[in-house]
Amino acid sequence: MSSIGRNLRTDYLQANEVFHRPYQQVLIVFVIIIAALIPAVSSNFFVHLLNLSFLAAIGALGLMLLTGFCGQISLGHAAFLAIGGFTTVILIVHVGAPFIVVVPASALSGALLGFIVGLPSLRFRGVYLAISTLAMHYAIIFLATFYQTKFGQAATAGIPIPDPTIGPFTLSGDREWYYLLLVLLALLTAGCVNLVRTRPGRAWMAIRDRDIAAETFGVNLARYKLLAFVVSSSLASMSGSLLAYYSNVVTVEKYTLDLAVIYVAMVIVGGMGSILGALLGALFITLLPFGIDALFDYLPREWRFGSTLFGVQVGAVGVCIIVFLLFEPKGLAEIWRRAETYFDRWPFRYRPLESARR
Amino acid sequence: MEFLATIVILTCTNALLAAGIVILYKAGRTVNLAHGELAIVGGYVFYSASLSGSDPSLPFAIAGALAYSICMGVFIYVSMMRRLVGEPFYVAILVTVGIAIVLKSAIIVIWKAERLTIDFGVAPAVYFSGGATLSYMDITGVVLTIAFFVALFLFFQFTRLGVQFRGTAENALLASQRGVNVNFVLSLAWVIAIGAATMSGVFFGARAFLSTDAVMIGLAGLTAALVGGLDSLRGAIAGAFIVAAAQYLTVRLIDPVLSEAVPFLILLAVMSIRPWGLFGTMEELDRV
Repeated sequence: MSSIGRNLRTDYLQANEVFHRPYQQVLIVFVIIIAALIPAVSSNFFVHLLNLSFLAAIGALGLMLLTGFCGQISLGHAAFLAIGGFTTVILIVHVGAPFIVVVPASALSGALLGFIVGLPSLRFRGVYLAISTLAMHYAIIFLATFYQTKFGQAATAGIPIPDPTIGPFTLSGDREWYYLLLVLLALLTAGCVNLVRTRPGRAWMAIRDRDIAAETFGVNLARYKLLAFVVSSSLASMSGSLLAYYSNVVTVEKYTLDLAVIYVAMVIVGGMGSILGALLGALFITLLPFGIDALFDYLPREWRFGSTLFGVQVGAVGVCIIVFLLFEPKGLAEIWRRAETYFDRWPFRYRPLESARR
Repeated sequence: MEFLATIVILTCTNALLAAGIVILYKAGRTVNLAHGELAIVGGYVFYSASLSGSDPSLPFAIAGALAYSICMGVFIYVSMMRRLVGEPFYVAILVTVGIAIVLKSAIIVIWKAERLTIDFGVAPAVYFSGGATLSYMDITGVVLTIAFFVALFLFFQFTRLGVQFRGTAENALLASQRGVNVNFVLSLAWVIAIGAATMSGVFFGARAFLSTDAVMIGLAGLTAALVGGLDSLRGAIAGAFIVAAAQYLTVRLIDPVLSEAVPFLILLAVMSIRPWGLFGTMEELDRV
């Protein structure tokens, strides 16, 4: 294939390829091998951080499908995570269901809720849809608070969850969790990549780009919008359930609007409309507070005391959202793509038209 | 009596916020999700500025709040919102979400997230039989809110700049072609909106307290704006009254725990029954 052909797709089959460059397969195998070796060489804390990123990445994949591919803005992602967490609690406390059952069941209840939350999208778009997901967020969190005050031991401490068991194994250490999450994330990522290549993904992108045009092409708007909400919320809910198991506690205080915004930040920083972006964004935003913490080691010691560090960690997410939206709207994925193009063209420079830059 | 006074004061806080949200929506079709944060930070600035002299001084505080509104308004418009013309709708909303987070972190870093009450040590003006009081600050708040809305009405109706304002809201491109300085008008919209929010934050801080949780008043303001109609200033007052009355009555008659839930319950109801609000135009709605 010529060098131009890698960016210029001339037929449907080319557009539908997963790997557009010959070295990408090699790169992915390489990344997976590295990822599998990380726990052997790094500290427990780093593995813990990666676990958190993987959990976030599962949720971010969900939001990416909804916002990045289907163009439906949602500020209710924390509520979907909460539904996963609370379904987990309810199934464990009242039914005593095992891990293998609880996680899919959480995904299912998330799907059901996504259907309900998605219903307003049939009437509104844009600003009003964002506000309606905001209202849904508060409604769901209110219900969760109600449940927690009724069934939790103390109103603020949350509800404890035991370590999950799969057959004879008990998942307790960070390293066991790491492999489970790595495999799960790899499978889900592969699933999402294929989902956006096939009919639903194409329909979503058509809806995102122009819903009326999509409808004239025969895309059933109601069906595919609801499907986007259902898939997105079931992924988020699954991530919420796993997070509940991983952190051994479910408390409603964790599912604030700020958390929903953090997921939005992952999608923006990663790059709208890119599965790779969801992964990069989740990794970046999850590691950001810890990176700032490390940076504070080089600053005057008294800054660490009080709330300065926490405040800066909170604010950094906001700054990332603003800076990326203003200066790099397609996010980290676009930076990666530019790097790839640079090496494709080397030693020549590649300058897209001014109008094609954004 | 006390019941009426409380509702009127709550209405004023909500109406000032809702007016700002409506002005910004009309000016640039942006829903500002950072409004509660802008209000509370305004309250904090007012508080800090009042202490900049030897003893608490009102002129300093007002000067500080004014400077904050102007600088913040111009800064947000010039450095962020102006660049977003022609971008998808969600970009502007998400930028305001980013602003909200940064402001929240400012409260934590600069003011250590302290719970503050704005208090000039003046005795309450009115004592009610139940032990509740009405301070001079509350009365000032009501008077200033009414003055603000009257001034806004006169401004939009009778001044040259007000007409340019309405023209820009209707069609920014045409307005700019007829020689309206759209950038000036839109930054002014941000300044007015933030100024109103700051007033609201100050009166809220005088009646209750400023803290990172207090930013929830933004939700009440947004709900009030939606109930009245996102593109209607009259509606902002009506919506503010409805939300205030509902807040007060649930606290009084049903359960104080519900008071936080009231704004979004109304929000859900409005979204499902009459999403364009009481006075809004139905065509304005982004319908599918």
